[in-house]
Amino acid sequence: MPLPANNRQSGGWKAILFRHETVLLLVLALEWFYFNAVGPRFGSLDNMYDILRHSVEIGLLALVMTPIILTGGIDLSVGSLLGLCAILFGKLCRDAGLSPAMAGVCTLGIGALAGGLNATLITSLRLPPLIVTLGTYSLFRGLAEAITRGADTFTNFPASFLFWGQERWLGVPAQAPVFVAVAAGVWLLVHRTTFGRSFRAIGFSPEGARYAGLPVERRLALVYVLAGIVAALAAILYTARLGQARADAGTGYELYAITAVVLGGTSIFGGVGSVPGTLLGVAAVAVLHNGLVHARQPREVAGMLTGALLLLALAGSVVPKMLTARRVRRQTSPSNLQPTETA
Amino acid sequence: MKRHFREVSIAVALGLLLLFLAVAAPTFYQPQPLLSLLAREAPALVVACGIALVIIGREIDISVGSQFSVCSVCAGLLASMHWPPALVLTASIAVGALMGTVNGALVAGLRLPSIVVTLATMVTWREGLRWLRQGVWVDLPDGVQWFGLSQAAGQWTLILLALLVLVMMALAMKHLSAGRFVYAVGSDAEAARLAGVRPQLITFLTFVWMGALVGLAAMMNVTQSPQVDPNSGTGLELKVIAAAVVGGVAISGGRGNLWGVFVGLLLLACVSPALTHLHIEAYWEKAIQGAIILLAVVADGLRSRKEKR
Repeated sequence: MPLPANNRQSGGWKAILFRHETVLLLVLALEWFYFNAVGPRFGSLDNMYDILRHSVEIGLLALVMTPIILTGGIDLSVGSLLGLCAILFGKLCRDAGLSPAMAGVCTLGIGALAGGLNATLITSLRLPPLIVTLGTYSLFRGLAEAITRGADTFTNFPASFLFWGQERWLGVPAQAPVFVAVAAGVWLLVHRTTFGRSFRAIGFSPEGARYAGLPVERRLALVYVLAGIVAALAAILYTARLGQARADAGTGYELYAITAVVLGGTSIFGGVGSVPGTLLGVAAVAVLHNGLVHARQPREVAGMLTGALLLLALAGSVVPKMLTARRVRRQTSPSNLQPTETA
Repeated sequence: MKRHFREVSIAVALGLLLLFLAVAAPTFYQPQPLLSLLAREAPALVVACGIALVIIGREIDISVGSQFSVCSVCAGLLASMHWPPALVLTASIAVGALMGTVNGALVAGLRLPSIVVTLATMVTWREGLRWLRQGVWVDLPDGVQWFGLSQAAGQWTLILLALLVLVMMALAMKHLSAGRFVYAVGSDAEAARLAGVRPQLITFLTFVWMGALVGLAAMMNVTQSPQVDPNSGTGLELKVIAAAVVGGVAISGGRGNLWGVFVGLLLLACVSPALTHLHIEAYWEKAIQGAIILLAVVADGLRSRKEKR
């Protein structure tokens, strides 16, 4: 029994009100007012920049996670890859004596390779992304620990490099332009090219997309390699922000990225989603974390609330659909004969 | 032979590893360290049996590590309040089953994907525990460690208990209708529904059972030391999923058995002592675990591609 599709066309204001982005904006506004009332320094411009600085890495991961989840896949390895890239970047700078720019380029290459490993396993052998990236999640973090022997940290980066994480450029945090550029790129890719359409098609039905003549394997490989490259970029910005690279960099970031994407209205089953939604999701998570610090709550509460928020967002996206399905079933059940649809 | 190809090849790999250790590092075979190793892995075996059941039913649970920590701390706190051991064990199992119920209700009731649900509950339980307990270790009173027995007797009890769980569950999976239902739901939920099985109920129950097993395993772990480490479950989910995948449980559901999981866990358990005896740094353990998972799924992928041709 097909559902009455496309409820966006049905009710005007209702559809807008119940769109994910609107609800998220409301949540953001609520967070904003609450934390402003609780923490006196929360609303200042300095703090806004602080939030931006701290959410850039997770934001980058969430941006590239969006096309992956659109195709119905998932990448659990991005946090571990961030850690691996961070320490490899540090190692290239310190032990190989490369300049930060050269080391950065090499790190991006390493990220592409690591993403390529995920892509190869997922596309050439048709393995489920979940288990492949669970394996690489362990592999990448393990390599980072093995290379640093669990203790080695890399510091003493030149000031010209730390600029990208700690200073301001044209009055805004220096990493903000990088983030905006990546966000614009991913937005164009997902919403303004045929690639974006093919991601959705694959998410709805991989077999259908294949029969329609889409190069499914190539498209899937693209999103995972892209995730690897951007994870490497996030690793460089992370290192610049903290001034040090450690093997545990980015632990748990994959959860925050997935949370932001799902909060932003992208269906975890694939096929539906938007980049602006993801950006709002990132903002909601970032404001929550920062605001709780200003409200003098321990860090663990923020982690707990993020998990709970993810569950709420998931339930919120599923329950209305279930209710609609139930109503449709009741209306079209034999006891209640109504000629709603003819086959 | 062909049907059990995976189990046999893993067993051969384990045999080779053990043979290699016998030549390269005979010190591995001293009875006391070996017994300690097996006792240490006994709780992991119980959890691995549960995760195998969940994966055969085409779901996954990555919150078991956090559940394990929560159950351990609960058991430790109750034991330090001088509750009798049997009651502590029951409470630990109940707490585990409760957390499993949450997962099961969200996955089976709302039909949400288990990977995201358990990712969220993993973080929620772990951060909640840290928040409430601030990472404090729990001191246990006398008589809890090794159930008040001698160390060797306690270790044998734990090993036999884990083996008992393994054998009972393996037989149930093969011969009881409940066990066959899990396979049916895992290989094709719609076909199972048309055959009169209620897939959502089966999924729900596997998660509850998973939680109960974690509670049992946590108690088995608590009795091994005089203190309870609130981080004892960290990384457990990866270890048991690796054991299941290496042991031939297909991540796409419906295929695999617990004997393979047992051998897979033994193989993984021997990696870390093997590293020590071969003078390789222990920091490689996680990377090797990841590589083993990838190797196992690649082997699966290659084989299924061959079968299709």
